[in-house]
Amino acid sequence: MMVRLNLKALLACALLCVSAAAGAHRFHMGITEVAYNARTKSTEIVHTYMAHDVEALMLNMYQRQFDLTDPDDQLVFRKYVEERFALKGADGKRLPLRWVGMTADSQSVTIYQELENAPLSKTVGIRHAILTDFLPDQVNTVNLNEAGKIRSLTFTLNAAEQPTARAIQQQRAQ
Amino acid sequence: MKTFRVTPIAAALASLFFHGAASADEFVLQRVLVEGARINKIGMTDSASSGTANAKDLENRTVYRPGELLEAMPGLIASQHSGEGKANQFYLRGFNLDHGTDLSTSVDGMPVNQRSHAHGQGWTDLNFLIPELVSRLDYRKGPYSSTDGDFASAGKASLAYANRLVAPIASVTLGQDDYARTVLAGSPELAGGNLLYALELLKNDGPWTRPDGYRKVNAVLRYSHGYSNNGWTVTGMHYQGHWNSTDQIPLRGVESGQLGRYDAFDLSDGGEAKRSSISGNWRRTTDESATALNAYVIRNQLDLYSNFTYFLNDPVNGDQFAQPDRRVTTGVDGSHTWHAYKSADGKLMSDLTAGFQLQNDNIFNGLYDTRARQRIATTREDHIVETSGAVYLESATMWSDSLRTVVGARANRYRFDVAGDRLENSGRAYDTLVTPTLSIAWAPFKHTELYLNYGHGFHSNDARGTVATLDPKSLDPVDATPGLVRSRGMELGLRTVAIPKMETTVSLYRLDFASELTYIGDAGNTEAGDPSRRYGVELSNIYRVNKWLALNVDAAYARARSRGGNPDGDRIPGAVEGVAQAGLTVDGFGPWSGALRLRYFGPRPLIEDDSVRSHASTTLNGRIGYRIAKDMRIELEGFNLTNRRDSAIDYYYESRLANEAQGVEDIHFHPIEPRTFRLTFVKNW
Repeated sequence: MMVRLNLKALLACALLCVSAAAGAHRFHMGITEVAYNARTKSTEIVHTYMAHDVEALMLNMYQRQFDLTDPDDQLVFRKYVEERFALKGADGKRLPLRWVGMTADSQSVTIYQELENAPLSKTVGIRHAILTDFLPDQVNTVNLNEAGKIRSLTFTLNAAEQPTARAIQQQRAQ
Repeated sequence: MKTFRVTPIAAALASLFFHGAASADEFVLQRVLVEGARINKIGMTDSASSGTANAKDLENRTVYRPGELLEAMPGLIASQHSGEGKANQFYLRGFNLDHGTDLSTSVDGMPVNQRSHAHGQGWTDLNFLIPELVSRLDYRKGPYSSTDGDFASAGKASLAYANRLVAPIASVTLGQDDYARTVLAGSPELAGGNLLYALELLKNDGPWTRPDGYRKVNAVLRYSHGYSNNGWTVTGMHYQGHWNSTDQIPLRGVESGQLGRYDAFDLSDGGEAKRSSISGNWRRTTDESATALNAYVIRNQLDLYSNFTYFLNDPVNGDQFAQPDRRVTTGVDGSHTWHAYKSADGKLMSDLTAGFQLQNDNIFNGLYDTRARQRIATTREDHIVETSGAVYLESATMWSDSLRTVVGARANRYRFDVAGDRLENSGRAYDTLVTPTLSIAWAPFKHTELYLNYGHGFHSNDARGTVATLDPKSLDPVDATPGLVRSRGMELGLRTVAIPKMETTVSLYRLDFASELTYIGDAGNTEAGDPSRRYGVELSNIYRVNKWLALNVDAAYARARSRGGNPDGDRIPGAVEGVAQAGLTVDGFGPWSGALRLRYFGPRPLIEDDSVRSHASTTLNGRIGYRIAKDMRIELEGFNLTNRRDSAIDYYYESRLANEAQGVEDIHFHPIEPRTFRLTFVKNW
């Protein structure tokens, strides 16, 4: 599972980096891929954020340096992520996400989560408030991948919770 | 092909945020806020001698007393010559900094140095510091930043407390010499913010024949909202402690067998200190600018009884004197940083910072002759109002990927208002000083940066000296001293990470002072000394062998000379020459962590002609920590592991023992504590 997830993460990361390097103004964004894995019968979630943004967040929360490759420090960041990202069921309650792990390098931070034994349809709403109150221009894109069909949701400071039904289908790439 | 579908979405998104301008926030954010977030400091500091020690670095140090945390600043020595509640004595860059002259220290934006203090100019008592709350120590050496004011010529140490802790902490430490300490701290969420609380209780007798009986209570309560770059905090602190002092003792007394090594001379020496503060700070940061505001009210009270010369001045009652000091310090400071210029391609950009600092001290202090803490005569008694204001402008420019400059200017204005018990020593004085600074950082290679620094700094003199016309003891006429004394520094530095896993810095500096002025707190007057010049070289090295092992070696050498043609000689008593530190730190080796640190405090001249010198002091401290469970650990700390019988401090002056016919010039020393162990149990939840 990790291999496939990693490939996607790598791509997302490459994208973030290329855009940042090309660009000029450092925009703040995160990408969250949510996909159903038929083999494990689970919904898999992969988040990718800029390492610089996460470092700055942690520094300004705890006034100290964090090493996101250190398990103790990861635990602190995990608590932050779990508080601010949730998949919600039809009853509006949080679905139980399992923390699979995270990786960090000088460019990006990638987080792996899993909703065990659940098809994508079980997720009716999403709350996503990672980095948005720290960086007011932070934009988090959630891609819902259902059997190759991708629909997207955009989360910002003022739009932290949305029903998945609002997701918009993206154009097909060539 | 599903993975490819990410591309257009992200690309479209990215394009939304392209402004085609320079990476604006990068420069400001990193310089103003994220400084220290990277382990590798290339491109992050303005001199080779500045840096940051983070919470982990500080946690790994073995500190006998809280002031020793400052030794994370390479080349600095924090010592003690008296009872534990007294301010430490510091040494750095060829200075005997006494209790903090020329070393500016701040905690959470509040100045720690007390100006025009009864016992010593710049009095820096760090006993209110709770190490568990310290999130970082930022240090600079040399007067190269316009943001720094009074006392910052040798260096500046800024300690910051955390707004929230990763987990609540409760710890108990028990040690030899009746040492006990407990800390309870946490930061629960409250009303959308965090409420940080901490309580520390400590007692320590030390190895002294007459136990120090040091008892302290220390508390912090802080409410914070938001983040440290976009948010605010309100903090209350309170510290109080009392102690007996075993001051330095004469070498002849120990050699003759009259005194034991850990004996005290005057059993009633000691003191009591209280510090309370309320402070607040507010910060706002956007991609384009950063604003900070900071305000504080600090109340300090000290009662201090010392006897350094025994029966020299008063063969009947002895020479004990009292130096009470009561003061309220209020201050406001603020700064605003914005982008002054950025080129279209983003290669060239310039930030401008404007700031101000206002401070007022309302002080009642005095000097009294006492016997067993009972007043028998008044030498002087003063009410001092000292007010200062400063404005500064600093421009940081990145000319290219490899060249940065910081240019600044600062204007200081001081008002000294002294109402003394003698009209001759009362009055008002004013002084103004403008200081320029310049730093150039050039990185010829990606892994190496060279620095050139030039700047002026200053220290203020004791207000009582600025209006003095009469020596209160001898009644001889004296000249008033200037209020502000200028220093001029320059430095050549190198920082490199060319060798993998290793960071090396080298700096070569010169520092001139217009006059080496020292307030003789123990005599109650100010001495205007000669100009001075210092040269020095500093080397600091850290080698991160692997994930859990780091080695470091720091060494510094300074040559300090007085330049006024004093016929006695040109040495500056107590001026430190060689200092070295070697350390080994293990962190996260399974459940084990630990550190071993060797500290060398080199010999110093004790008088002007260099005929009497102190010996070197070498101490080996260490700690071993073991994690019993995820949220529980124990730690054993050992101090002076080799059990050396060195001095913590040495002085040379005249004193008289009760059985001596007249005064004798001699070395007076305070020994380092013998081998001492402390065991700590820490629980998080």
